[in-house]
Amino acid sequence: MAEVKLAGMGEIVFARGAGVLGCIGLGSCVGTLLFNPRSHMAALAHVMLPEAHEHDAFTMPGKYATTAVPALLRTLDTPPASASHLKAILIGGGELFQNRSQALRIGERNVSTLRRLLSELRISIVFENTHGSTGRSFEFDLETGLVRVRAVGATPVEKDLSAALGILRKAA
Amino acid sequence: MALTLNDLRTDALREIGNIGLGGAVTALSDLTGVLFTLEAPQVLPIDASTLPSLCCVAPESLAVGTVSRVNGDWAGEAAFLFPWESACVLWQILVQMSPSGLDALNELYQSVVNEVSNIMLGNYLRAISQMTGFTLQMEPPVFAADMAMALLSSIVVEALYEQRELLAVETAFKTAEHEFRGYFLYLPETGNLEKLFSVLGI
Repeated sequence: MAEVKLAGMGEIVFARGAGVLGCIGLGSCVGTLLFNPRSHMAALAHVMLPEAHEHDAFTMPGKYATTAVPALLRTLDTPPASASHLKAILIGGGELFQNRSQALRIGERNVSTLRRLLSELRISIVFENTHGSTGRSFEFDLETGLVRVRAVGATPVEKDLSAALGILRKAA
Repeated sequence: MALTLNDLRTDALREIGNIGLGGAVTALSDLTGVLFTLEAPQVLPIDASTLPSLCCVAPESLAVGTVSRVNGDWAGEAAFLFPWESACVLWQILVQMSPSGLDALNELYQSVVNEVSNIMLGNYLRAISQMTGFTLQMEPPVFAADMAMALLSSIVVEALYEQRELLAVETAFKTAEHEFRGYFLYLPETGNLEKLFSVLGI
């Protein structure tokens, strides 16, 4: 696999044509990837919280679900009105510290907010590995359409999304 | 946006870390019969770029951690993080056995780590309360074992939800007798910092 372009917390990374995008150590955060089959571009945000605080939503749009989704569309040069051909991948949103007294359930709320925003834009989620109580790392290869999710103490989950994403795989 | 503190205030937070965790580490030494020592605490604003440098553990390596809510005059979140190998050292010392892997991590092992966190945090808070006159209460620790980075980011993100800016006082502790490193993080509610500084007269 090519070198992975990693989205750190609150960051957005993108690639066109070829390349591997990923996140490391997602706890309650959600790796939110949008793929544009027409331009063969992908953009990935490492979303930390559901709704934006005003003070840094402009400097770090990838940090919040509500600002990350529009920022991903901008990165992919896709106006919201024509976003329905985009495909989404969601990974993360676990609650590692179960029964925490404050019970903010950030992971769950990150995922539900992202699902709602994507559904409003009629963007379909082609792969989702969310919730539960484990941390995750993942990589997505633009060229092959392979997504690979790792968690500690479990076999990695690997899925070929080339058909779902309309990626023509080069003959071996 | 990073929280800005002048040198004097950073030094004061570092010193509080030192005094607080000094008491906590003495308690751990008493409990285990092994001498633990502190490294110099660091005070750092938390954002996406500083998080990976917190606690020197490989991001995807297995680690064990606890989080406890602290209420009162210097409210915040207190967390302990142990790389898996270091947690095994603690288990070996305290219960003379350690789990073969994540699957074997039963309630006994969890309660050992919770108890260590309880004792250390109790002593940390006592030291701070003696110095400042603050009233501080802790809630029971919550345990998790997972990728180090996933644990750290979950701890920090919950704290970030409540506040705009976040600061961590991080202290590492070790022992010469074993290959061991433990990390303590205190994430004070930043609104409470002024209260602390005024009590200390700075």
